[in-house]
Order: sequence, then C-alpha cells, then structure tokens
Amino acid sequence: MPSAKHPEILLRDVTMRFRRTKDTPTSLKEWMVSLLNPKLRKQAESFLALDSISFRIDPGEIVGIIGTNGSGKSTLLKIISGVLPPSSGVVFADRRKIELLTLGTGFDLELTGRENVYLNGALIGFTKRGLDRKYDSIVSFAELSDFMDEKVRNYSSGMVSRLAFSIATSKSTPRILILDEVLSVGDRFFREKSERRIREMIQSGSTVLIVSHSTQVIRSLCTRVLWIERGKLRADGDPDTVCRAYETMGKV
Amino acid sequence: MRVLSAWHQYAFVIRQLTARELKRKYARSSLGILWSILNPLLSMAVLSLIFLNMFRRSIENYPIYYLTGYLVWQTFTLATTSAMTALPDNKPLLLKVRFPMDIFLLARVYTAGVNLVYSLIAYAVMLIVFGISFKWTMLLAPVYLFLLFCFSLGMSYLLAVACVFFGDVRHLYTVLLTLWMYCSALFYPVSQLSEFMQTVVRMNPIYAYISSLRGAVLDGTLPSGLVWLQMLCFGILTLLLGRTVFKFYRKKIVEFL
Repeated sequence: MPSAKHPEILLRDVTMRFRRTKDTPTSLKEWMVSLLNPKLRKQAESFLALDSISFRIDPGEIVGIIGTNGSGKSTLLKIISGVLPPSSGVVFADRRKIELLTLGTGFDLELTGRENVYLNGALIGFTKRGLDRKYDSIVSFAELSDFMDEKVRNYSSGMVSRLAFSIATSKSTPRILILDEVLSVGDRFFREKSERRIREMIQSGSTVLIVSHSTQVIRSLCTRVLWIERGKLRADGDPDTVCRAYETMGKV
Repeated sequence: MRVLSAWHQYAFVIRQLTARELKRKYARSSLGILWSILNPLLSMAVLSLIFLNMFRRSIENYPIYYLTGYLVWQTFTLATTSAMTALPDNKPLLLKVRFPMDIFLLARVYTAGVNLVYSLIAYAVMLIVFGISFKWTMLLAPVYLFLLFCFSLGMSYLLAVACVFFGDVRHLYTVLLTLWMYCSALFYPVSQLSEFMQTVVRMNPIYAYISSLRGAVLDGTLPSGLVWLQMLCFGILTLLLGRTVFKFYRKKIVEFL
C-alpha cells in the first residue's frame, strides 16, 4: 500500500489560463488604440486550458492520461514537470526527480545525426560526459551507425523518431517518469523494441505518467487512468472502466 | 554544488545552441564554417578599398577608423536583432525544456560574441596590412568589448520582452537602428558635426565603446574618466535593468507566446 502521508505528486485546484492571441494587441498601434478606447481593451478574453484540476499520485503508481486533442493533457504534464507555472493552484512534486520524456526536442534538420544527439541531449538534460559515454549505445539502439555523419534532412521520418526515442530513453531512470506520446514510433519491430525498453523503465520502480492516444497501450501498462476533457478532470479510476467510457464517448 | 552543476549544464546547452547557429548559417555552402572568418575578412577588405579614398584629409588611417566602428556596430546589431526574436523563434522548444528561458537569448548573444572573435581575426589582419603598430592600450580592448557585450545583452533582454508583447517592435527597431547608426559616427569625424549633434553622439552608448576602441588602436590613448563611467554604467546598469524586467515578465511571457 502506498503511504498515505507522502504522495509523489499532488495537485490542488490547478488552473491554467492562456490568452487568446487574436484578442490581445500585438502591435503598438493596436495597443495605443486600446489605451484611448477602454471598450476595446476589455475584450481580451482568456482561454481555460485547465480548470481547477486536483488529484494525487502515490509512489509506484503507473498512471495513464487520456483525452482528445487539445484537451489540456500536454499542458498538465508541463505544469507537473515544472516547465510551465500554473496561473493558480498548487503543485507538490519534487521537480529534481521528474523526467519529462518528449521526442526530438530541438532536432535540427540542417545538422548531422551526431550533432543532433549532442544538441538534443543537452536540451533534455544530459551532461557532456554522460553523452560521450552513452553515444555508442544510443546509436546502436537506433540502428543508425552508418548514418550519423549524414544530415538529418536526409533521414526518413522513421529514422528521426528512432534516433529521438533512443536519446530520450538513454538517461538513467528517474524517480518520476513522464512519457508524452513516446510510444508508437518507427516500424513494428522498432515499436516492440521500444515498448520493451519502456517496460524495463517502468519495472525499475519509478512512478510513471503516460500520455497516449492508444487506449490499448494505456490498458496494457497502467494501473490507473485519468481522463482530461476540455481542461476538466472527467474521470479517474481503473483503466478498464475509464478507457471504456472514453471509447464510448468517441462513438457518439 | 547543485547550483554549480546546473550552471555547468546551462553552459553546455548554450555551447550546443551556439554551435547550431554557427553551423546552420553556412550549412549549405562547401566551405562551411570557414566562411565565419572569410566573410568578415572579405567585407572588411572591400570596405577598406571603398573608404581608402574618402575623408583622407580629416582622418588618418580612415579604413581602420571605419573598421573599428564597424566591428563594434556589427556586434551590437547582430546580438540585439537576433536575440530579440530568440523567444518566438524557439517557442516549441521553450515550452518543453526546463531551463530558464533566457538561455535562448544568451545563446544568440553568445553567438554574436563568437562571431566577434572571428571578425577580430580579420581585423588583426587589416591592422597588419595598414601598418598599425602595436600599442599597449590595445590590451584593454577586451575590457571594452566585454562591457559592450554586457550592454548588448541588457538591450537584448529589454527588446526580447518588448517583442513578445508587441510583435512590430522588430520592424521599429530596424528603423531605429538606422537612425542610431548615423548618430554613432561610424564613418565621419565627430568634429565635423554641429555642437548640438556632437553632444548627441557623445551621449550615445555605442559611441563610448567605439571611441575607446579607436583610441586604443589608432592613437594609443585611454578613454577619459567620463567615458569610462559611461561604458561601465551603460554596460552594467542596462544588463541589470534588462534582467530585472525580464524576470518580472517571465510568467506573462509564457502565457503570451
């Protein structure tokens, strides 16, 4: 049983408000006009990406997050991992233990595969020494040894995502792992290989958050599922129940 | 210890981002990165040829007079114009990584700094070609350039914030730069101006750096106490102001981007 005293992640009334770009003055002229005419100024309306979300996650839980496109899943992950500060509400989580896994952060098509490993690695938190040490295993897992001095512009999209996945999952497993749509890349063989790697990471005892469109993946990996819809927490429970509710909504 | 390793990591990220900018610039040319030195060398050669026959009576060593100003001006404009759009340009990245946002800004200004080093190599070649003898005051040049770097960084912070909230700042800024350039005495002697314009030029931060560097290289003179004060104040205060403003608007920037 997870201890009742120490949740790994705790969110209380977290709200995220984004301004709609069309309503804000983005030019000096518009801004001056709005100064003169207060009626226009009030129009700036905001968009609720997350609407007072609260939940707790205990150590060792593997939580899936589902929801349609634009429902606020990625925003939620960014807030938990500390990339975005919430507009209001509180997040308790030890940010040093959290690792947000996303694919291909900052990949640059004009650079070679090797240069991208270093650029992308630096951006997702690798040290120079760590990259030097892991470089060979990153390349061999992606099966791209012959292409590393080639510009990424000449890669196929499958090759790019294989390299990205390999870099992202080569870091030592953190206490809290957040996976943002990293499953289902590459061909079938690579997909099996990558799912194996994710399972290994999960089994090494960390708390895991998985965002995926595939309820199949969520069902097979998670112990609990959160369903976010239009910024609201619509359901929270065991994978089967929540996934089924989600799937029936899609059919209506 | 943790702070130290965090900075170590930031430095690594900045170096990687800078390497990307430099490699990308000449990515599709066969000489590649070599252009970083060739480009300033060739443009300096062309400019000296053009200016060799102008203002000869009023300014000694006119090409070097011009190139010194050009060096400072180029560095400042490259740093500020590229850093100004660093946030919108890197928007997709910015929302994914956990570094302080100013890393992207710093990387752009640092890139301008690296370009300055390349240009300095070309500049040194020009000094030799025009037979400028070594003067001990030249050793102070890095100090002036460092303060210029601080000033550029401070301005970059301010411009970057302004650019997030008002997209057309970038167009206004290019217009402003033209005006600013004519007030920086890049290619004419200050003494030819009216008294009022002379005061304007002397109040110009960029001119403080340009004139100090010219003094160091051409005449072997040190800047006056007032100019030292100007360089220090413009450099350090602008940087502090820029950072404070940037920090103040940090949260709002994320929402606006």
